[in-house]
Amino acid sequence: MTAIDRPFYRRSHWHWGLVVPPVLLAALLFGASLGETNIPANVVLQVLANKLFDAGYPVDRIDEGIVWNYRMSRAVVAACCGAGLALSGVILQALLRNALADPYLLGISAGASTGAVAVTVIGLGGGLISLSLGAFTGALMAFGFVALLAHAAGGGAGLRAASVIVLAGIAGSQMFNAITTFLITKSANAEQSRAIMFWLMGNMSGVRWPDVITVVPAAVLGVGVCVWNTRALDAFTFGADSAASLGVSVKRVQLTLIGIAALVTAVMVSVVGAIGFVGLVIPHAMRFMVGHRHGILVPASALAGAVFLIFADVISRVIIPGQVLPIGVVTALVGAPVFALILINGRASG
Amino acid sequence: MILSCENLGWETQGKEIVRDISITVNEGEKLGLIGPNGSGKSTFLRMLAGIRKPNMGSVYLDGQSMTQQRQRDIAQRVALVEQHADTADRISVRDAVELGRTPWLSALRGWGSQDDAIVARALTDVDLTGFNHRHWHTLSGGERQRVHIARALAQQPKVLLLDEPTNHLDIRHQLSILHLVTRLPVTAVIALHDLNQAMLCDRICVLQNGQLRAVGTPDEILTGDLLGEVFGVCAHFLTDPADQSRVIRFHTAM
Repeated sequence: MTAIDRPFYRRSHWHWGLVVPPVLLAALLFGASLGETNIPANVVLQVLANKLFDAGYPVDRIDEGIVWNYRMSRAVVAACCGAGLALSGVILQALLRNALADPYLLGISAGASTGAVAVTVIGLGGGLISLSLGAFTGALMAFGFVALLAHAAGGGAGLRAASVIVLAGIAGSQMFNAITTFLITKSANAEQSRAIMFWLMGNMSGVRWPDVITVVPAAVLGVGVCVWNTRALDAFTFGADSAASLGVSVKRVQLTLIGIAALVTAVMVSVVGAIGFVGLVIPHAMRFMVGHRHGILVPASALAGAVFLIFADVISRVIIPGQVLPIGVVTALVGAPVFALILINGRASG
Repeated sequence: MILSCENLGWETQGKEIVRDISITVNEGEKLGLIGPNGSGKSTFLRMLAGIRKPNMGSVYLDGQSMTQQRQRDIAQRVALVEQHADTADRISVRDAVELGRTPWLSALRGWGSQDDAIVARALTDVDLTGFNHRHWHTLSGGERQRVHIARALAQQPKVLLLDEPTNHLDIRHQLSILHLVTRLPVTAVIALHDLNQAMLCDRICVLQNGQLRAVGTPDEILTGDLLGEVFGVCAHFLTDPADQSRVIRFHTAM
């Protein structure tokens, strides 16, 4: 029995309306409940009831702060980042017809780190610009550079366009990474270098509720655009020319979807740094589990990305007592073996 | 007049691939497209399908220039079967054929039971009933080609454009695909390499170096002189004693 034969596979979008909310809520609850400080489940629920429904349970102020301000905000941001990055991966892998495409392919993480370094190390903006804004600007600049390069190299349509974008992304990433290294070597002290390194691996430690306001719209935008374009994404199965002959306006879809993937990724990177692995591997894992059709792949990837990052964040908080691991380390350390298992099982059943 | 083009031209990197082609395809006819490798057949078909924008001239579909029509509206009337369309995705035959319904579906008009019926019919037409759940990567070249044709049929087009549809097929399936296409109540333009198969078409147009060399009925076009000039071969015409039809045999030119 392979993924394709499963009965729920076909056109059962409504299932997702039933599956996503409870799973997501359970994952968020899990994220809010676990941590270094042992807080009983009933206290966690009381805090949430107080905050969400103004229930008025008497709870310890410190417990409340930990559950709501520290854990819950991180869980929500992790969920949004996971969903956004996974969907960006889905978009790029589908449109570029390249299994290795990930959200950072377009130079976004390289540009973001250059922006972050320019702000923190060089002091660009004279302290008025936050690290996040610097990273966001850098990410968009790098994407602009990659897009211009791809355009100048004359993509045309089809496979050639896809490979031109991939090559332009590699060139852009290399260049911005070089600038980052140059700036760090030239100006940064040891402590700054360490902070930048930590941020580059994905850093959720500074995340609080204001960040939620930034990432939720980006995640909603990403999910909305993907769900709206599931058929267009499917139409690229046999390449861009085939999509065009199926009535998809290839240029418009490529421009909007790749642009949105870049924007969503830039927002996520500017808040939590370059968390690797999610955008590359979650879509592939989901293809093995639910199949290639985007009507089901899009919601599955968004949900899996969200749940995966919530879990990764919990692990990064509790695995070394007294220390927080960069979440990117966890996503790769946990994700790689899990993905290996899925690969092996997928081959066996396919 | 359902599909026509005027002074159609396309060039890339200073090289003219297609030059000044004007032709009208009549409703319901099967137009064969022949010519040596590199004569511009595929490029010409792509422009007719509206997926390659001509540098010069225009393609007219239902009397209106294609550049003024939405891709989706074109795809509801014209379907293209490409030569080398492949995928690494693990999709089933059914999935691939369902893609053909794309131009008819939207966020507001979802999948319905009539779409299921159209897809099932398309699979029956290409003799792939029972292949629903077979994976794409387990299919032979010929089976893949038939899936592509089924996908094009699921678009329910008025005009079917086929780029060498009988490539990779064994002789039985070559014949069955050709008979299928010639029986279908659609207008079809078919690029072919096998000139004996081209004889089944109502009209044949000959491309040479990107230009329209000749167009006419098979008897007018498939002559020793023309085949010698265009393909550089010697052609002899025999008569099949079974049904008195003409058969061409080829020899390398002196």
